[in-house]
Amino acid sequence: AVQEGAAGGSLERHCPTYIYKVVLLGSTAVGKSSLAYRYMKNDFQESLPTVGCSFFTKIIRMESATVKLEIWDTAGQEKYHSVCHLYYRGAHAALLVYDITNKETLGRAKQWLKELEKEFLHDEIVIALVGNKTDLAEEREVPAEEGEEFARSRSLLFMETSAKSNHQVKDVFMAVALQLLQREAEKAPAPRRGQHVDLGESRARTGCC
Amino acid sequence: AEEVCVRTPLQKQQSLPLRPVIPLVARISDQNASGAPPMTVREKTRLEKFRQLLSSHNTDLDELRKCSWPGVPREVRPVTWRLLSGYLPANMERRKLTLQRKREEYFGFIQQYYDSRNEEHHQDTYRQIHIDIPRTNPLIPLFQQPLVQEIFERILFIWAIRHPASGYVQGINDLVTPFFVVFLSEYVEEDVENFDVTNLSQDVLRSIEADSFWCMSKLLDGIQDNYTFAQPGIQKKVKALEELVSRIDEQVHNHFRKYEVEYLQFAFRWMNNLLMRELPLRCTIRLWDTYQSEPEGFSHFHLYVCAAFLIKWRKEILDEEDFQGLLMLLQNLPTIHWGNEEIGLLLAEAYRLKYMFADAPNHYRR
Repeated sequence: AVQEGAAGGSLERHCPTYIYKVVLLGSTAVGKSSLAYRYMKNDFQESLPTVGCSFFTKIIRMESATVKLEIWDTAGQEKYHSVCHLYYRGAHAALLVYDITNKETLGRAKQWLKELEKEFLHDEIVIALVGNKTDLAEEREVPAEEGEEFARSRSLLFMETSAKSNHQVKDVFMAVALQLLQREAEKAPAPRRGQHVDLGESRARTGCC
Repeated sequence: AEEVCVRTPLQKQQSLPLRPVIPLVARISDQNASGAPPMTVREKTRLEKFRQLLSSHNTDLDELRKCSWPGVPREVRPVTWRLLSGYLPANMERRKLTLQRKREEYFGFIQQYYDSRNEEHHQDTYRQIHIDIPRTNPLIPLFQQPLVQEIFERILFIWAIRHPASGYVQGINDLVTPFFVVFLSEYVEEDVENFDVTNLSQDVLRSIEADSFWCMSKLLDGIQDNYTFAQPGIQKKVKALEELVSRIDEQVHNHFRKYEVEYLQFAFRWMNNLLMRELPLRCTIRLWDTYQSEPEGFSHFHLYVCAAFLIKWRKEILDEEDFQGLLMLLQNLPTIHWGNEEIGLLLAEAYRLKYMFADAPNHYRR
Protein backbone atom coordinates (compact mmCIF):
# COMPACT_ATOMS: atom_id res chain seq x y z
CA ALA A 1 0.00 0.00 0.00
CA VAL A 2 1.14 3.52 -0.71
CA GLN A 3 2.15 5.79 2.12
CA GLU A 4 0.05 8.85 2.19
CA GLY A 5 -0.80 11.61 4.57
CA ALA A 6 1.34 10.17 7.34
CA ALA A 7 2.95 13.32 8.56
CA GLY A 8 5.75 11.41 10.13
CA GLY A 9 4.79 11.65 13.78
CA SER A 10 6.15 8.91 15.97
CA LEU A 11 2.69 7.92 17.15
CA GLU A 12 1.76 6.82 13.69
CA ARG A 13 4.54 4.34 13.40
CA HIS A 14 3.34 1.83 15.91
CA CYS A 15 -0.30 1.92 14.94
CA PRO A 16 -0.67 2.31 11.20
CA THR A 17 -3.92 1.79 9.32
CA TYR A 18 -3.75 -0.03 6.07
CA ILE A 19 -6.51 0.13 3.52
CA TYR A 20 -6.81 -2.74 1.10
CA LYS A 21 -9.14 -3.44 -1.74
CA VAL A 22 -10.41 -7.02 -1.78
CA VAL A 23 -12.55 -8.42 -4.59
CA LEU A 24 -14.82 -11.44 -4.46
CA LEU A 25 -14.85 -13.29 -7.77
CA GLY A 26 -16.49 -16.51 -8.90
CA SER A 27 -19.40 -18.15 -10.69
CA THR A 28 -22.99 -17.25 -10.17
CA ALA A 29 -24.62 -18.42 -6.94
CA VAL A 30 -21.49 -19.85 -5.31
CA GLY A 31 -22.10 -17.63 -2.29
CA LYS A 32 -20.00 -14.51 -2.80
CA SER A 33 -22.63 -12.15 -1.41
CA SER A 34 -23.46 -14.57 1.36
CA LEU A 35 -19.81 -14.72 2.41
CA ALA A 36 -19.68 -10.93 2.45
CA TYR A 37 -22.93 -10.76 4.39
CA ARG A 38 -21.79 -13.33 6.92
CA TYR A 39 -18.53 -11.51 7.38
CA MET A 40 -20.17 -8.09 7.76
CA LYS A 41 -23.29 -8.97 9.75
CA ASN A 42 -22.55 -12.45 11.04
CA ASP A 43 -25.82 -13.66 9.62
CA PHE A 44 -27.14 -15.63 6.68
CA GLN A 45 -29.87 -14.62 4.29
CA GLU A 46 -30.96 -15.36 0.75
CA SER A 47 -29.29 -12.75 -1.42
CA LEU A 48 -30.57 -11.08 -4.52
CA PRO A 49 -28.31 -11.74 -7.51
CA THR A 50 -25.65 -9.06 -7.37
CA VAL A 51 -25.86 -6.54 -10.14
CA GLY A 52 -22.57 -4.99 -11.13
CA CYS A 53 -20.94 -4.79 -7.76
CA SER A 54 -21.61 -4.23 -4.09
CA PHE A 55 -19.24 -2.52 -1.77
CA PHE A 56 -18.55 -2.97 1.95
CA THR A 57 -15.88 -2.00 4.38
CA LYS A 58 -14.66 -3.89 7.38
CA ILE A 59 -12.16 -2.79 9.94
CA ILE A 60 -9.90 -5.34 11.59
CA ARG A 61 -7.98 -4.13 14.61
CA MET A 62 -4.85 -6.04 15.35
CA GLU A 63 -2.09 -5.43 17.80
CA SER A 64 0.38 -4.14 15.31
CA ALA A 65 -1.94 -2.45 12.87
CA THR A 66 -5.45 -1.64 11.84
CA VAL A 67 -6.60 -3.04 8.55
CA LYS A 68 -9.49 -1.59 6.68
CA LEU A 69 -10.80 -3.90 4.01
CA GLU A 70 -12.73 -2.45 1.11
CA ILE A 71 -14.65 -5.46 -0.07
CA TRP A 72 -16.00 -5.50 -3.60
CA ASP A 73 -18.57 -8.18 -4.15
CA THR A 74 -19.01 -8.75 -7.87
CA ALA A 75 -21.77 -10.24 -10.01
CA GLY A 76 -21.18 -13.84 -10.99
CA GLN A 77 -22.95 -14.04 -14.32
CA GLU A 78 -20.49 -14.14 -17.19
CA LYS A 79 -22.50 -11.57 -19.07
CA TYR A 80 -21.25 -9.01 -16.59
CA HIS A 81 -17.70 -9.90 -17.35
CA SER A 82 -17.12 -6.86 -19.49
CA VAL A 83 -17.67 -4.52 -16.58
CA CYS A 84 -16.09 -6.74 -13.98
CA HIS A 85 -12.52 -5.83 -14.71
CA LEU A 86 -13.39 -2.28 -13.71
CA TYR A 87 -14.01 -3.60 -10.25
CA TYR A 88 -10.94 -5.70 -9.75
CA ARG A 89 -8.60 -3.09 -11.13
CA GLY A 90 -6.27 -1.95 -8.39
CA ALA A 91 -7.23 -4.77 -6.05
CA HIS A 92 -4.75 -5.87 -3.38
CA ALA A 93 -6.42 -9.20 -2.79
CA ALA A 94 -8.93 -11.47 -4.44
CA LEU A 95 -11.09 -14.26 -3.10
CA LEU A 96 -11.81 -16.78 -5.84
CA VAL A 97 -14.95 -18.46 -4.64
CA TYR A 98 -16.33 -21.76 -5.86
CA ASP A 99 -19.09 -24.06 -4.70
CA ILE A 100 -17.85 -27.42 -3.41
CA THR A 101 -21.06 -29.06 -4.66
CA ASN A 102 -20.47 -27.92 -8.22
CA LYS A 103 -17.27 -28.92 -9.94
CA GLU A 104 -17.73 -26.49 -12.82
CA THR A 105 -17.45 -23.56 -10.47
CA LEU A 106 -13.90 -24.58 -9.56
CA GLY A 107 -13.05 -24.49 -13.24
CA ARG A 108 -14.48 -21.01 -13.38
CA ALA A 109 -12.38 -19.96 -10.41
CA LYS A 110 -9.29 -21.21 -12.25
CA GLN A 111 -10.27 -19.08 -15.22
CA TRP A 112 -10.52 -16.08 -12.95
CA LEU A 113 -7.03 -16.85 -11.74
CA LYS A 114 -5.74 -16.76 -15.32
CA GLU A 115 -7.37 -13.43 -15.79
CA LEU A 116 -5.86 -12.02 -12.63
CA GLU A 117 -2.44 -13.30 -13.65
CA LYS A 118 -2.74 -11.29 -16.83
CA GLU A 119 -3.52 -8.16 -14.89
CA PHE A 120 -1.25 -8.47 -11.87
CA LEU A 121 2.26 -9.55 -11.07
CA HIS A 122 2.47 -12.40 -8.63
CA ASP A 123 3.54 -10.28 -5.68
CA GLU A 124 1.06 -7.54 -6.47
CA ILE A 125 -1.99 -9.38 -5.27
CA VAL A 126 -2.90 -11.84 -2.56
CA ILE A 127 -5.22 -14.53 -3.85
CA ALA A 128 -7.26 -16.97 -1.82
CA LEU A 129 -9.13 -19.91 -3.25
CA VAL A 130 -12.33 -20.42 -1.29
CA GLY A 131 -14.52 -23.54 -1.47
CA ASN A 132 -17.87 -22.47 -0.09
CA LYS A 133 -20.97 -24.42 1.07
CA THR A 134 -19.34 -27.02 3.32
CA ASP A 135 -22.74 -27.30 5.00
CA LEU A 136 -23.81 -29.28 1.93
CA ALA A 137 -21.24 -31.99 2.58
CA GLU A 138 -23.41 -34.80 1.22
CA GLU A 139 -23.59 -33.09 -2.17
CA ARG A 140 -19.89 -32.44 -2.40
CA GLU A 141 -18.38 -32.78 -5.88
CA VAL A 142 -14.99 -31.26 -5.22
CA PRO A 143 -12.84 -33.04 -2.61
CA ALA A 144 -11.11 -30.65 -0.24
CA GLU A 145 -7.76 -32.07 -1.36
CA GLU A 146 -8.39 -31.05 -4.92
CA GLY A 147 -8.90 -27.41 -4.06
CA GLU A 148 -6.05 -27.49 -1.62
CA GLU A 149 -3.67 -29.12 -4.04
CA PHE A 150 -4.49 -26.65 -6.78
CA ALA A 151 -4.05 -23.74 -4.39
CA ARG A 152 -0.70 -25.07 -3.25
CA SER A 153 0.54 -25.50 -6.80
CA ARG A 154 -0.21 -21.87 -7.52
CA SER A 155 0.79 -20.45 -4.12
CA LEU A 156 -2.71 -19.35 -3.23
CA LEU A 157 -4.25 -19.27 0.18
CA PHE A 158 -6.89 -21.93 0.54
CA MET A 159 -9.87 -22.42 2.78
CA GLU A 160 -13.21 -24.17 2.74
CA THR A 161 -16.06 -22.19 4.20
CA SER A 162 -19.76 -22.14 4.81
CA ALA A 163 -21.50 -18.80 4.83
CA LYS A 164 -24.63 -20.59 5.96
CA SER A 165 -23.24 -22.38 8.99
CA ASN A 166 -20.56 -19.76 9.63
CA HIS A 167 -17.59 -21.98 9.02
CA GLN A 168 -14.22 -20.27 8.61
CA VAL A 169 -15.64 -17.14 7.02
CA LYS A 170 -13.92 -14.73 9.34
CA ASP A 171 -10.82 -16.86 9.12
CA VAL A 172 -10.47 -16.55 5.39
CA PHE A 173 -10.66 -12.76 5.46
CA MET A 174 -8.26 -12.74 8.39
CA ALA A 175 -5.81 -14.95 6.53
CA VAL A 176 -5.91 -12.56 3.61
CA ALA A 177 -5.39 -9.56 5.88
CA LEU A 178 -2.43 -11.21 7.58
CA GLN A 179 -0.82 -12.09 4.30
CA LEU A 180 -1.28 -8.52 3.09
CA LEU A 181 0.38 -7.23 6.23
CA GLN A 182 3.18 -9.70 5.90
CA ARG A 183 3.86 -8.54 2.38
CA GLU A 184 3.79 -5.00 3.65
CA ALA A 185 6.46 -5.86 6.19
CA GLU A 186 8.60 -7.67 3.63
CA LYS A 187 8.69 -4.82 1.24
CA ALA A 188 8.81 -2.10 3.86
CA PRO A 189 12.46 -1.15 3.45
CA ALA A 190 12.29 -1.37 -0.32
CA PRO A 191 11.04 1.53 -2.39
CA ARG A 192 7.33 1.57 -2.87
CA ARG A 193 6.01 -0.15 -5.88
CA GLY A 194 5.35 1.32 -9.30
CA GLN A 195 3.52 4.55 -9.60
CA HIS A 196 1.08 3.48 -12.25
CA VAL A 197 -1.95 5.43 -11.24
CA ASP A 198 -5.21 3.66 -10.96
CA LEU A 199 -8.21 3.76 -8.77
CA GLY A 200 -7.50 1.20 -6.11
CA GLU A 201 -3.83 1.94 -5.88
CA SER A 202 -4.23 5.58 -5.11
CA ARG A 203 -6.66 4.93 -2.34
CA ALA A 204 -4.59 2.27 -0.73
CA ARG A 205 -2.60 3.99 1.91
CA THR A 206 -1.55 3.99 5.45
CA GLY A 207 -2.75 6.51 7.92
CA CYS A 208 -3.11 6.74 11.63
CA CYS A 209 -5.71 5.07 13.72
CA ALA B 1 -56.73 5.67 6.43
CA GLU B 2 -54.70 2.77 7.71
CA GLU B 3 -51.01 2.90 7.22
CA VAL B 4 -50.57 0.82 4.15
CA CYS B 5 -47.13 1.47 2.91
CA VAL B 6 -44.92 1.73 5.92
CA ARG B 7 -45.69 -1.42 7.81
CA THR B 8 -42.19 -2.68 7.64
CA PRO B 9 -39.46 -1.41 5.43
CA LEU B 10 -38.72 -2.94 2.06
CA GLN B 11 -35.10 -2.66 1.29
CA LYS B 12 -34.78 -4.15 -2.08
CA GLN B 13 -32.03 -1.73 -2.91
CA GLN B 14 -29.80 -3.10 -0.20
CA SER B 15 -26.52 -4.41 -1.29
CA LEU B 16 -26.71 -6.57 1.76
CA PRO B 17 -29.92 -8.49 1.54
CA LEU B 18 -31.97 -7.07 4.36
CA ARG B 19 -35.48 -7.36 3.09
CA PRO B 20 -38.36 -7.34 5.49
CA VAL B 21 -41.74 -7.60 3.83
CA ILE B 22 -43.80 -4.62 2.84
CA PRO B 23 -46.96 -4.40 0.77
CA LEU B 24 -45.95 -4.43 -2.87
CA VAL B 25 -48.56 -2.04 -4.07
CA ALA B 26 -50.42 0.52 -2.07
CA ARG B 27 -53.82 -1.03 -1.56
CA ILE B 28 -55.70 2.15 -2.28
CA SER B 29 -54.87 3.86 -5.52
CA ASP B 30 -52.51 6.80 -5.37
CA GLN B 31 -51.87 6.17 -1.74
CA ASN B 32 -48.93 7.83 -0.18
CA ALA B 33 -46.49 6.49 2.30
CA SER B 34 -47.77 9.09 4.72
CA GLY B 35 -51.27 7.64 4.46
CA ALA B 36 -53.73 9.49 2.26
CA PRO B 37 -57.49 9.70 2.61
CA PRO B 38 -59.41 6.92 0.83
CA MET B 39 -60.29 8.74 -2.35
CA THR B 40 -60.66 12.43 -2.97
CA VAL B 41 -63.09 14.03 -5.34
CA ARG B 42 -60.18 14.79 -7.61
CA GLU B 43 -59.15 11.17 -7.70
CA LYS B 44 -62.71 10.10 -8.44
CA THR B 45 -62.83 12.51 -11.36
CA ARG B 46 -59.55 11.19 -12.65
CA LEU B 47 -60.73 7.62 -12.45
CA GLU B 48 -63.88 8.62 -14.29
CA LYS B 49 -61.80 10.22 -17.00
CA PHE B 50 -59.74 7.04 -17.39
CA ARG B 51 -62.85 4.90 -17.56
CA GLN B 52 -64.22 7.12 -20.28
CA LEU B 53 -61.06 6.96 -22.33
CA LEU B 54 -60.70 3.24 -21.92
CA SER B 55 -64.26 2.44 -22.88
CA SER B 56 -64.44 4.65 -25.94
CA HIS B 57 -64.60 2.96 -29.30
CA ASN B 58 -61.12 4.11 -30.16
CA THR B 59 -59.03 5.03 -27.15
CA ASP B 60 -57.18 8.27 -27.72
CA LEU B 61 -53.68 7.13 -26.84
CA ASP B 62 -52.20 10.62 -26.69
CA GLU B 63 -54.85 11.59 -24.23
CA LEU B 64 -54.31 8.38 -22.28
CA ARG B 65 -50.60 9.11 -22.06
CA LYS B 66 -51.30 12.61 -20.88
CA CYS B 67 -53.62 11.30 -18.18
CA SER B 68 -51.27 8.52 -17.17
CA TRP B 69 -48.16 10.64 -16.84
CA PRO B 70 -49.03 11.78 -13.30
CA GLY B 71 -49.95 8.21 -12.29
CA VAL B 72 -52.59 5.66 -13.21
CA PRO B 73 -55.29 4.73 -10.68
CA ARG B 74 -54.86 1.18 -9.50
CA GLU B 75 -58.33 0.15 -10.68
CA VAL B 76 -57.53 0.79 -14.33
CA ARG B 77 -53.81 0.20 -14.32
CA PRO B 78 -53.76 -3.26 -15.90
CA VAL B 79 -55.68 -2.30 -19.01
CA THR B 80 -53.96 1.09 -19.22
CA TRP B 81 -50.53 -0.56 -19.13
CA ARG B 82 -51.54 -3.00 -21.85
CA LEU B 83 -52.55 -0.06 -24.01
CA LEU B 84 -49.61 2.18 -23.21
CA SER B 85 -47.08 -0.54 -23.92
CA GLY B 86 -48.56 -1.00 -27.38
CA TYR B 87 -49.62 -4.54 -26.60
CA LEU B 88 -53.34 -3.84 -26.80
CA PRO B 89 -54.80 -1.97 -29.79
CA ALA B 90 -56.57 1.35 -29.29
CA ASN B 91 -59.56 0.03 -31.17
CA MET B 92 -61.99 -1.53 -28.76
CA GLU B 93 -63.31 -4.17 -31.14
CA ARG B 94 -59.89 -5.54 -31.89
CA ARG B 95 -58.82 -5.91 -28.30
CA LYS B 96 -60.41 -9.18 -27.43
CA LEU B 97 -59.14 -10.89 -30.52
CA THR B 98 -55.67 -9.44 -30.18
CA LEU B 99 -55.37 -10.65 -26.61
CA GLN B 100 -56.58 -14.07 -27.58
CA ARG B 101 -54.17 -14.27 -30.51
CA LYS B 102 -51.18 -12.99 -28.53
CA ARG B 103 -51.84 -15.31 -25.65
CA GLU B 104 -52.07 -18.24 -28.03
CA GLU B 105 -48.91 -17.14 -29.77
CA TYR B 106 -47.03 -17.04 -26.48
CA PHE B 107 -48.17 -20.49 -25.48
CA GLY B 108 -47.24 -21.64 -28.95
CA PHE B 109 -43.67 -20.52 -28.20
CA ILE B 110 -43.80 -22.45 -24.96
CA GLN B 111 -44.91 -25.55 -26.74
CA GLN B 112 -42.32 -25.17 -29.42
CA TYR B 113 -39.30 -24.09 -27.39
CA TYR B 114 -39.67 -24.74 -23.72
CA ASP B 115 -38.60 -28.34 -23.90
CA SER B 116 -35.29 -27.22 -25.37
CA ARG B 117 -34.29 -25.67 -22.05
CA ASN B 118 -32.31 -28.74 -21.10
CA GLU B 119 -30.62 -29.10 -24.47
CA GLU B 120 -26.98 -28.24 -24.60
CA HIS B 121 -27.21 -24.92 -26.44
CA HIS B 122 -29.80 -23.54 -24.03
CA GLN B 123 -28.66 -25.21 -20.88
CA ASP B 124 -26.62 -22.31 -19.55
CA THR B 125 -29.40 -19.83 -20.14
CA TYR B 126 -31.95 -21.97 -18.40
CA ARG B 127 -29.67 -22.81 -15.52
CA GLN B 128 -28.94 -19.15 -14.84
CA ILE B 129 -32.64 -18.29 -14.91
CA HIS B 130 -33.42 -21.23 -12.69
CA ILE B 131 -30.84 -20.09 -10.15
CA ASP B 132 -32.05 -16.50 -10.19
CA ILE B 133 -35.80 -16.93 -9.94
CA PRO B 134 -36.02 -18.10 -6.31
CA ARG B 135 -33.81 -15.17 -5.33
CA THR B 136 -35.59 -12.55 -7.41
CA ASN B 137 -37.95 -11.49 -4.66
CA PRO B 138 -36.86 -13.55 -1.66
CA LEU B 139 -38.95 -13.21 1.48
CA ILE B 140 -42.12 -12.29 -0.39
CA PRO B 141 -44.42 -15.31 -0.13
CA LEU B 142 -46.04 -14.67 -3.52
CA PHE B 143 -42.77 -15.25 -5.32
CA GLN B 144 -41.86 -18.36 -3.38
CA GLN B 145 -44.78 -20.29 -4.83
CA PRO B 146 -43.72 -22.92 -7.37
CA LEU B 147 -46.44 -21.88 -9.82
CA VAL B 148 -45.23 -18.29 -9.82
CA GLN B 149 -41.60 -19.29 -10.17
CA GLU B 150 -42.46 -21.51 -13.11
CA ILE B 151 -44.27 -18.61 -14.78
CA PHE B 152 -41.21 -16.39 -14.38
CA GLU B 153 -38.93 -19.09 -15.70
CA ARG B 154 -40.99 -19.62 -18.81
CA ILE B 155 -41.31 -15.90 -19.53
CA LEU B 156 -37.59 -15.31 -19.16
CA PHE B 157 -36.48 -18.38 -21.01
CA ILE B 158 -38.70 -17.71 -24.01
CA TRP B 159 -37.64 -14.08 -24.11
CA ALA B 160 -33.96 -15.02 -23.85
CA ILE B 161 -33.89 -17.55 -26.65
CA ARG B 162 -35.89 -15.26 -28.91
CA HIS B 163 -33.33 -12.51 -28.32
CA PRO B 164 -29.99 -14.23 -28.79
CA ALA B 165 -28.11 -10.94 -29.14
CA SER B 166 -28.52 -10.34 -25.47
CA GLY B 167 -29.92 -13.53 -24.06
CA TYR B 168 -30.71 -13.58 -20.39
CA VAL B 169 -28.84 -11.05 -18.27
CA GLN B 170 -29.32 -10.75 -14.53
CA GLY B 171 -31.55 -7.79 -13.94
CA ILE B 172 -34.01 -8.71 -16.64
CA ASN B 173 -35.61 -11.05 -14.12
CA ASP B 174 -36.56 -8.04 -12.00
CA LEU B 175 -38.33 -6.44 -14.94
CA VAL B 176 -41.04 -9.10 -15.05
CA THR B 177 -42.16 -8.38 -11.50
CA PRO B 178 -44.06 -5.08 -11.98
CA PHE B 179 -46.04 -6.47 -14.91
CA PHE B 180 -46.80 -9.68 -13.11
CA VAL B 181 -47.96 -7.86 -9.98
CA VAL B 182 -50.08 -5.35 -11.89
CA PHE B 183 -51.77 -7.97 -14.03
CA LEU B 184 -52.30 -10.19 -11.02
CA SER B 185 -53.84 -7.31 -9.08
CA GLU B 186 -56.73 -7.40 -11.53
CA TYR B 187 -57.89 -10.58 -9.85
CA VAL B 188 -56.85 -9.99 -6.28
CA GLU B 189 -58.61 -7.88 -3.70
CA GLU B 190 -56.30 -8.40 -0.76
CA ASP B 191 -52.51 -8.06 -0.43
CA VAL B 192 -50.82 -9.29 -3.54
CA GLU B 193 -47.67 -10.32 -1.71
CA ASN B 194 -49.42 -13.00 0.31
CA PHE B 195 -51.83 -14.16 -2.34
CA ASP B 196 -51.97 -17.89 -3.06
CA VAL B 197 -52.10 -18.19 -6.84
CA THR B 198 -53.61 -21.67 -6.73
CA ASN B 199 -56.87 -19.81 -6.06
CA LEU B 200 -56.87 -18.63 -9.65
CA SER B 201 -58.06 -20.64 -12.61
CA GLN B 202 -55.51 -21.88 -15.07
CA ASP B 203 -56.96 -19.60 -17.74
CA VAL B 204 -56.44 -16.54 -15.61
CA LEU B 205 -52.89 -17.53 -14.78
CA ARG B 206 -52.16 -18.11 -18.44
CA SER B 207 -53.47 -14.66 -19.31
CA ILE B 208 -51.34 -13.02 -16.65
CA GLU B 209 -48.30 -14.92 -17.86
CA ALA B 210 -48.75 -14.11 -21.53
CA ASP B 211 -49.54 -10.44 -20.90
CA SER B 212 -46.50 -10.10 -18.65
CA PHE B 213 -44.35 -11.66 -21.35
CA TRP B 214 -45.53 -9.37 -24.11
CA CYS B 215 -45.42 -6.18 -22.08
CA MET B 216 -41.96 -7.02 -20.79
CA SER B 217 -40.88 -7.71 -24.37
CA LYS B 218 -42.14 -4.30 -25.47
CA LEU B 219 -40.22 -2.67 -22.66
CA LEU B 220 -37.04 -4.56 -23.47
CA ASP B 221 -37.30 -3.70 -27.16
CA GLY B 222 -36.54 -0.13 -26.14
CA ILE B 223 -33.50 -0.93 -24.03
CA GLN B 224 -32.01 -4.01 -25.60
CA ASP B 225 -28.55 -2.50 -25.94
CA ASN B 226 -28.44 -2.45 -22.14
CA TYR B 227 -28.06 -6.21 -22.29
CA THR B 228 -26.11 -7.01 -25.42
CA PHE B 229 -22.42 -7.88 -25.28
CA ALA B 230 -20.43 -5.48 -23.06
CA GLN B 231 -23.70 -3.73 -22.25
CA PRO B 232 -23.06 -0.66 -24.42
CA GLY B 233 -26.42 0.89 -23.58
CA ILE B 234 -25.53 0.99 -19.92
CA GLN B 235 -22.02 2.26 -20.46
CA LYS B 236 -23.37 5.03 -22.67
CA LYS B 237 -26.09 5.99 -20.21
CA VAL B 238 -23.75 6.05 -17.24
CA LYS B 239 -21.45 8.37 -19.19
CA ALA B 240 -24.42 10.53 -20.14
CA LEU B 241 -25.46 10.68 -16.50
CA GLU B 242 -22.01 11.81 -15.49
CA GLU B 243 -22.04 14.46 -18.17
CA LEU B 244 -25.48 15.64 -17.16
CA VAL B 245 -24.67 15.82 -13.46
CA SER B 246 -21.47 17.72 -14.17
CA ARG B 247 -23.66 20.38 -15.76
CA ILE B 248 -26.55 20.51 -13.36
CA ASP B 249 -24.68 20.11 -10.09
CA GLU B 250 -21.01 20.80 -10.34
CA GLN B 251 -20.57 20.60 -6.60
CA VAL B 252 -21.81 17.02 -6.39
CA HIS B 253 -19.82 16.10 -9.46
CA ASN B 254 -16.62 17.55 -8.04
CA HIS B 255 -17.28 15.89 -4.73
CA PHE B 256 -17.29 12.52 -6.50
CA ARG B 257 -14.08 13.39 -8.29
CA LYS B 258 -12.42 14.48 -5.12
CA TYR B 259 -13.12 11.16 -3.44
CA GLU B 260 -12.58 9.14 -6.61
CA VAL B 261 -16.10 7.83 -6.83
CA GLU B 262 -16.90 6.69 -10.33
CA TYR B 263 -20.44 6.85 -11.63
CA LEU B 264 -20.25 3.29 -12.88
CA GLN B 265 -19.71 2.10 -9.34
CA PHE B 266 -23.23 3.01 -8.32
CA ALA B 267 -25.15 3.88 -11.49
CA PHE B 268 -24.53 0.60 -13.28
CA ARG B 269 -27.27 -0.94 -11.20
CA TRP B 270 -29.52 2.10 -11.66
CA MET B 271 -29.44 1.53 -15.39
CA ASN B 272 -29.31 -2.26 -15.45
CA ASN B 273 -32.32 -2.60 -13.14
CA LEU B 274 -34.10 0.65 -13.96
CA LEU B 275 -33.79 1.84 -10.33
CA MET B 276 -35.77 -1.19 -9.19
CA ARG B 277 -33.13 -2.12 -6.65
CA GLU B 278 -33.15 1.41 -5.28
CA LEU B 279 -36.91 1.82 -4.84
CA PRO B 280 -39.75 -0.10 -3.22
CA LEU B 281 -41.80 -1.97 -5.80
CA ARG B 282 -44.84 0.27 -5.37
CA CYS B 283 -42.66 3.20 -6.43
CA THR B 284 -41.37 1.34 -9.46
CA ILE B 285 -44.93 0.67 -10.53
CA ARG B 286 -45.79 4.34 -10.18
CA LEU B 287 -42.62 5.26 -12.06
CA TRP B 288 -43.57 2.97 -14.91
CA ASP B 289 -46.94 4.70 -15.29
CA THR B 290 -44.90 7.67 -16.41
CA TYR B 291 -42.20 5.79 -18.32
CA GLN B 292 -44.91 4.22 -20.43
CA SER B 293 -46.43 7.65 -21.06
CA GLU B 294 -43.19 9.31 -22.10
CA PRO B 295 -41.62 8.80 -25.49
CA GLU B 296 -38.56 6.59 -24.85
CA GLY B 297 -39.42 6.55 -21.20
CA PHE B 298 -37.35 3.53 -20.20
CA SER B 299 -34.31 4.63 -22.11
CA HIS B 300 -34.01 8.37 -22.55
CA PHE B 301 -36.23 9.76 -19.81
CA HIS B 302 -34.84 7.30 -17.29
CA LEU B 303 -31.55 9.13 -17.55
CA TYR B 304 -33.12 12.36 -16.31
CA VAL B 305 -34.87 10.48 -13.56
CA CYS B 306 -31.52 9.06 -12.46
CA ALA B 307 -30.01 12.54 -12.46
CA ALA B 308 -32.92 13.91 -10.43
CA PHE B 309 -32.65 10.93 -8.10
CA LEU B 310 -28.97 11.54 -7.52
CA ILE B 311 -29.39 15.26 -6.91
CA LYS B 312 -32.20 14.52 -4.49
CA TRP B 313 -29.49 13.20 -2.16
CA ARG B 314 -27.04 16.03 -2.70
CA LYS B 315 -26.99 17.08 0.92
CA GLU B 316 -26.32 13.55 2.15
CA ILE B 317 -23.70 13.13 -0.55
CA LEU B 318 -21.87 16.33 0.31
CA ASP B 319 -21.92 15.35 3.98
CA GLU B 320 -19.90 12.21 3.26
CA GLU B 321 -16.23 12.90 3.44
CA ASP B 322 -14.66 9.74 2.17
CA PHE B 323 -14.91 7.15 -0.57
CA GLN B 324 -16.27 4.40 1.65
CA GLY B 325 -19.00 6.56 3.14
CA LEU B 326 -20.05 7.78 -0.28
CA LEU B 327 -20.30 4.31 -1.76
CA MET B 328 -22.16 2.91 1.21
CA LEU B 329 -24.63 5.78 0.95
CA LEU B 330 -25.09 5.49 -2.80
CA GLN B 331 -25.71 1.75 -2.57
CA ASN B 332 -28.24 2.04 0.21
CA LEU B 333 -30.21 5.22 -0.39
CA PRO B 334 -32.95 5.44 2.20
CA THR B 335 -36.08 5.23 0.05
CA ILE B 336 -37.93 2.63 2.10
CA HIS B 337 -40.66 5.07 3.07
CA TRP B 338 -41.09 6.49 -0.37
CA GLY B 339 -44.51 6.64 -1.94
CA ASN B 340 -46.29 8.38 -4.76
CA GLU B 341 -45.51 11.83 -3.46
CA GLU B 342 -41.75 11.36 -3.62
CA ILE B 343 -41.96 9.77 -7.04
CA GLY B 344 -44.16 12.62 -8.25
CA LEU B 345 -41.56 15.16 -7.18
CA LEU B 346 -38.77 13.12 -8.68
CA LEU B 347 -40.56 12.91 -12.01
CA ALA B 348 -41.34 16.62 -12.04
CA GLU B 349 -37.67 17.39 -11.52
CA ALA B 350 -36.66 14.92 -14.23
CA TYR B 351 -39.11 16.55 -16.60
CA ARG B 352 -37.68 19.95 -15.82
CA LEU B 353 -34.16 18.70 -16.51
CA LYS B 354 -35.23 17.09 -19.75
CA TYR B 355 -36.61 20.35 -21.04
CA MET B 356 -33.75 22.38 -19.77
CA PHE B 357 -31.28 20.28 -21.70
CA ALA B 358 -33.28 19.13 -24.68
CA ASP B 359 -32.76 22.17 -26.89
CA ALA B 360 -29.55 23.46 -25.48
CA PRO B 361 -26.70 22.40 -27.74
CA ASN B 362 -24.11 23.57 -25.25
CA HIS B 363 -25.69 21.57 -22.53
CA TYR B 364 -26.16 17.88 -22.38
CA ARG B 365 -27.21 16.25 -25.62
CA ARG B 366 -28.20 12.70 -26.21
